[in-house]
Amino acid sequence: MMKKFSSSRYTRSVLAAALGAYLLAASCAALAADPVKIGVPVGLSGANSVVAPSVVQAAQLAVDEINAKGGILGRQVSLEVADDGSGAAGAQKAFDSLIFDKKVNALISMETSAARNAGLPIVTRGKVPYIYTSFYEGRSCNRYMYVDAWVPDQQVAPIVDYFMKQDHAKTFFLVGSDYAFGRGMLDFTKSYIEKKGGKVVGNEYLPMDGSDWTSIISKLQGAKPDAIITSTAGGAPNVTLTKQLRAAGVTIPYGNLAVDEGTAKSMGADAAGIYISGSYVTNIDSPANHAFLAAMQKRFGSDLKTPNDLSVPEYEAIYLYKAAVEKAGSFDTAKVTPALAQVSFNGPRGDIKMDKQHHTPLTMYLGQVQTDGSVKVIQSFASVDPGAQCPGLK
Amino acid sequence: MLNLGLDVVTTAAILFIVSAGLLMIFGVMKIINFSHGAFLTLGGYSSVIVGHAGLNWWWSVPFALLTGFVLGIGVERFIVRPLYARPLDAILATWGLGIIVGQIITLVFGREVQMVVSPVDGAIAVFGGHYSVYRLILVGVAVLVALALGGLLNGTRLGLQTRAVIMNESLARALGISSARVRFMTFCTGAALASAAGALITPLSSVDPNMGVPWIVGAFMLVLVSGSSLLSLALASLVLGGAQVLVSTFVNPVLGGLTIAVLAALLLRLRPEGFARG
Repeated sequence: MMKKFSSSRYTRSVLAAALGAYLLAASCAALAADPVKIGVPVGLSGANSVVAPSVVQAAQLAVDEINAKGGILGRQVSLEVADDGSGAAGAQKAFDSLIFDKKVNALISMETSAARNAGLPIVTRGKVPYIYTSFYEGRSCNRYMYVDAWVPDQQVAPIVDYFMKQDHAKTFFLVGSDYAFGRGMLDFTKSYIEKKGGKVVGNEYLPMDGSDWTSIISKLQGAKPDAIITSTAGGAPNVTLTKQLRAAGVTIPYGNLAVDEGTAKSMGADAAGIYISGSYVTNIDSPANHAFLAAMQKRFGSDLKTPNDLSVPEYEAIYLYKAAVEKAGSFDTAKVTPALAQVSFNGPRGDIKMDKQHHTPLTMYLGQVQTDGSVKVIQSFASVDPGAQCPGLK
Repeated sequence: MLNLGLDVVTTAAILFIVSAGLLMIFGVMKIINFSHGAFLTLGGYSSVIVGHAGLNWWWSVPFALLTGFVLGIGVERFIVRPLYARPLDAILATWGLGIIVGQIITLVFGREVQMVVSPVDGAIAVFGGHYSVYRLILVGVAVLVALALGGLLNGTRLGLQTRAVIMNESLARALGISSARVRFMTFCTGAALASAAGALITPLSSVDPNMGVPWIVGAFMLVLVSGSSLLSLALASLVLGGAQVLVSTFVNPVLGGLTIAVLAALLLRLRPEGFARG
């Protein structure tokens, strides 16, 4: 007996075939248009909220320029910005959402040390390349993380050497914010000063959100140091400390390891005379920097936030990622991560190549804030080595 | 030694100025105004506006008083008064208001630190040492605030009614005193004072949308141990503020930040009336 061909069975198989064809077509279309996602967890709120807009702008310019030239390996780049609240709790949420929800191909951003330390275990679990673009206290090591900004070994020496040589300073007073960056920077500064024959007569810390420096300033005046070096969290702590120091009549040479040109400008006359050391100042005289500044001005016009030592590394890092992917020929983390140590990019800060244990040699500038808020470069030091940051990593 | 003494006195003065407005509202209305920080911030930004207008910095203080008073009118009428019978909800509402005001300021001015030129700069030679001129001026300001408030409370009819409401609100109403009017005037004055305090601390702090937040807890603790008396507040500022300075100087500043809260809690445990007369 011939089995009757069931019409409902026939309909079902046609539908199934149609559905299969549709899914295949849809996924092909999706793959072709699939953008490369770069995750940017950054402090849109909290302590870093003052500087975060400049970092996002730098990232946007890099992405726009790369997309205009065809993207990375033919795929357009899109940015996923997430708020990490400038702290550990927010960073966990931001990293989780970027890596596991948005499934970004890479993380490239600037954050506080607290946020970075909270995010690293998530990066390891998610196996995503991470370029950390903020200067920091050093010695943070993870096989997926590369750093294109400076560490104390590059930043502290210019200021201390200058004070000891020009101002014949022998005694130093150190003031900082009580967290990984503040303590890390000043620990390094203390051992560097002592190695050079100087003496640290005071080393005081205030919580990151503290604004009352009264007792620390009184101790400073009692200790009568030749120079003061500070390393506070960015933004408000820098301003309160400087204002209170000036109100108390402190005029000894003052080196600030953690202030940027923008904050210095907003402090007005109180900031005049402060020495800063960094890898970027807006008046670096190079074709790459001039082109960069012109492009930023054109892209953002009157909304432009002054490019600074925290935002320019972000721009360069995105280009470094592009170079690494092109060298590896793939977006696969296992191939891109080693490539990040092999590529270099010539940016506003010069040649960047993260081949020293995931860190990069940098040209450093010693500058002094003028009465109009601008920074005058006193000396520059080419290709300063970051030292042995991560001996465990190759 | 002299520096330490001056540190104690000037810190006490600053704490007194910042907390006086909160005390007034607490004494009369028995609620803690958690938008106090937002009013401090408002005062700070009033300084910024005065600066942008090109006027002398000292105009910030009356301008801050004005903006605080005006905002206080709206807050009392629309947020606090409807919740008069529900003091715990009123406290929560003021906390929410504080967040909203902070965000509005961020939307209008941006998150960055604003620049405010200091009215006086540097230190002055005093008894052989050097001390910040502005901090010394603030001691004088604190005395002025105390005298003005004391004068208002003890020398005016409204002050008399306010003291009656503080002592026993139901009885005062039974005697024909309009407690609604007293509450209204008290809230507006307290808000104006908070705003003025915010303007006064700008030469020593950064003007940003969160500038008032660090002060809320300290002011809250001081007010709790002071009950409703200005004199107790002055005493509490001196004792607790002094302890903060001593711990910051001789132990470390991180623990110093905790001192006021810890001491206030201990004090209330031992003597629930705090510094107020029993």
